[in-house]
Amino acid sequence: MTRIDALTGNECVAEAVRLCSPDIIAAYPITPQSVVVEVLASMKANGQLKSKIVDVESEHSSMSVVKGAAMLGKRVFTATAGQGLAYMYEPYFSMSTMRFPMVMTLACREMISPGTVWCGLQDALSVRDAGWMQIFCENNQEILDMVIQGYKIAENHDVLIPMNVCYDGFYLSHQTERVEIPDQEQVDAFLPPIDLPQYLDVNHPAIVDPNTVGSYLIRYREDHLKCMQTAKKVIREVNDEFAEKFGRNWGGLIGSYRLEDADYVLVTIGATTGAARVVVDAWREKGVKMGLLKIRAVRPFPEEEIAEALKGRKAYGVIDRSVCFGWNRGIIAMETFAALGKAGVCLPGLSFVGGLGGLDLRTEYVDKAAGMIVEAAKGAIPAGETFWMNEDFL
Amino acid sequence: MNTVDFLNSREDLLSPGISACQGCMAELSLRVILKVLGEKTVLVVPPGCMAGAAVGGWNKSLGTKIPAAMPQLGNSASMLAGIKAAYDLVDPDVHCLAYAGDGGTADIGLQALSAAAERRDNIIYVCNDNEAYMNTGFQKSGTTPHGARTSTTPVGSVGRGKVNFKKDVPMMMAMQNTAYVATLTPAYMNDFVEKVQKAATIKDGLVYLHVLNPCPTGWGTKPENSIAYARAAVQSRYFLLYEYRNYEFTVSAPTKNIREPKDVTEFLQKQKRFAHLDEQDYEEVRRVVNSRWENLKKLAGL
Amino acid sequence: MENEYRVVYGDSGLYVLDTASWRTFRPVIDETKCVNCGTCLLYCPVCAVKKVDGRIQIDLSYCKGCGICRTECPKQAIMWVKEEE
Repeated sequence: MTRIDALTGNECVAEAVRLCSPDIIAAYPITPQSVVVEVLASMKANGQLKSKIVDVESEHSSMSVVKGAAMLGKRVFTATAGQGLAYMYEPYFSMSTMRFPMVMTLACREMISPGTVWCGLQDALSVRDAGWMQIFCENNQEILDMVIQGYKIAENHDVLIPMNVCYDGFYLSHQTERVEIPDQEQVDAFLPPIDLPQYLDVNHPAIVDPNTVGSYLIRYREDHLKCMQTAKKVIREVNDEFAEKFGRNWGGLIGSYRLEDADYVLVTIGATTGAARVVVDAWREKGVKMGLLKIRAVRPFPEEEIAEALKGRKAYGVIDRSVCFGWNRGIIAMETFAALGKAGVCLPGLSFVGGLGGLDLRTEYVDKAAGMIVEAAKGAIPAGETFWMNEDFL
Repeated sequence: MNTVDFLNSREDLLSPGISACQGCMAELSLRVILKVLGEKTVLVVPPGCMAGAAVGGWNKSLGTKIPAAMPQLGNSASMLAGIKAAYDLVDPDVHCLAYAGDGGTADIGLQALSAAAERRDNIIYVCNDNEAYMNTGFQKSGTTPHGARTSTTPVGSVGRGKVNFKKDVPMMMAMQNTAYVATLTPAYMNDFVEKVQKAATIKDGLVYLHVLNPCPTGWGTKPENSIAYARAAVQSRYFLLYEYRNYEFTVSAPTKNIREPKDVTEFLQKQKRFAHLDEQDYEEVRRVVNSRWENLKKLAGL
Repeated sequence: MENEYRVVYGDSGLYVLDTASWRTFRPVIDETKCVNCGTCLLYCPVCAVKKVDGRIQIDLSYCKGCGICRTECPKQAIMWVKEEE
């Protein structure tokens, strides 16, 4: 029986991990992710969690421990945020390029400096080219559902790529929402046990992660990138199967709201999507065909879906909670521009950067952005411009 | 069975041809350790001399007859802890062994090692101490001794080699009550084999074995004298052989039985890395060597 | 796995270098002096020394010619013979 509870995003992660029952968990607490580690430890202390927990002294070690366990074909889990992800970068990159599947949740946090512990997607998006799949969530239910889906996608033999399930720190990690928690039988029927060989086996000696020449390495990269494309299909399929079995459809690589007939599109990622939904409704009330495109997958990047979704519209604007240094734009804006350019889809697009360091991306801000998108369609604002949602924005 | 017959009877689990230098003691120590532990062993070998010598495999082939994996430089202990945690679910009797250099141990890997010891992960961590980053061209490490010329502590009109002293990692490990700590050097092979055999029986935590392995290429010594230098290190008390377990220090026989210690110059002289040292430097080394010995005697109740 | 370049591991046998080619001198046991104590066996870094039926033998297949056996031999029973071209 599905249980209904009021949980924070961090608690949702722990609940989902319990249901997926990894063999080994190693995680180091860091704001705003700490509650994930606390709740898992509490579950273990109360006999509710089968997984073995290795209490590590750093994120570098947490990823190293789970990488070691993955060498025996085990299901593993870790979670981190911000500086922890940066500290973990070395084994993090290797985990994906070894092609060990796992789920790691990120309670996304702005990178220092200046000193901050607050929300921002800069941590996750800065490592978007480290070979992991990255899915961004809008609410707590989506977090819980994506951890479960994440294992199924990552462990698919045609994928074998680890996944980051990312959610806005504090806004989701600490916010309590109504959540439906599936029961163990439902999850077991959806998520089969991990089926990978024991690569490190005394009965069958093998070398794991040897030194190689470039002619070998390039073939590993080629396969990795190909499988990342295959993952698009698998993400869609797993989404559909999940929707059928659990009754919740998150859309696969992208999500949308009132997009079908929209002239103007707000492109969002993560928790900002919630504010954008409210703004879309408000503009629709005024008789303006505003719509919403929510980017769920950043890696693999849904270039085809995005081009298809934006083709034939009058203008769009991307709201980023991160910056793309050297481009004077947000990261998702740059990625979207690239996807449209490749597809030959040409329409005015704006980049909005806001919500950094925990700033609230209030509906007023998103509403103003929506108005600017309408202006851009008329040519009143030059396409490609970047706007900073700081205190002077309104 | 005596040590000669024992080692003769055991299978060599490394590839017979690895590219370690002539007279490499790290190669000898690793071969002996694997002979003692046997084929139910998983080896983790981070970047360093042994990984560079193809113990960590090459393309899709192995440098060992046992399963092996190459971690990054700083996470041998933590990655091995993960392997051990997973192996506990499969076969808890398999030895999980790390063979890391002094750089990977005393410098970048120390944090992960200390945490694994604190957690009492039942892994065997061996530090191959050749007193610098030898694989990549003799850069200074935390265990490089005072005065040694390395490529990052060069000798010049002002520079006189490493200014500070060798980091005492085995003593650090003992002070955090690691399950078993021992210092070894291949010149004393009976002692060496006994300690590895004992390590294999420890089941209540981390085993830390600190092996002083003379390095002809990095130290500037002749390959045929590697064992002689290892012996001189012990006989001059430059390197102390002891064990630690359950709050007890035991001075090992080769060190305990020294009647008249040799002067440190016995060990230092003729090594090119120490060629610039003068009597004042020797006196400084003597002072440290004596202090460490007096300290160990107190700890061991001698 | 469908593609051999997917998960980074390999089991295609031992990687073996011809280290014997490094030698400029080779050790030869002087049978008249050798007492089969096995000191050379203890210290050979490549495990080239074996004891067969109580007798010490040196397998030159991978001997790098480091000379430790010669230095350490308590009976000076190891001769140092130059490798010919």
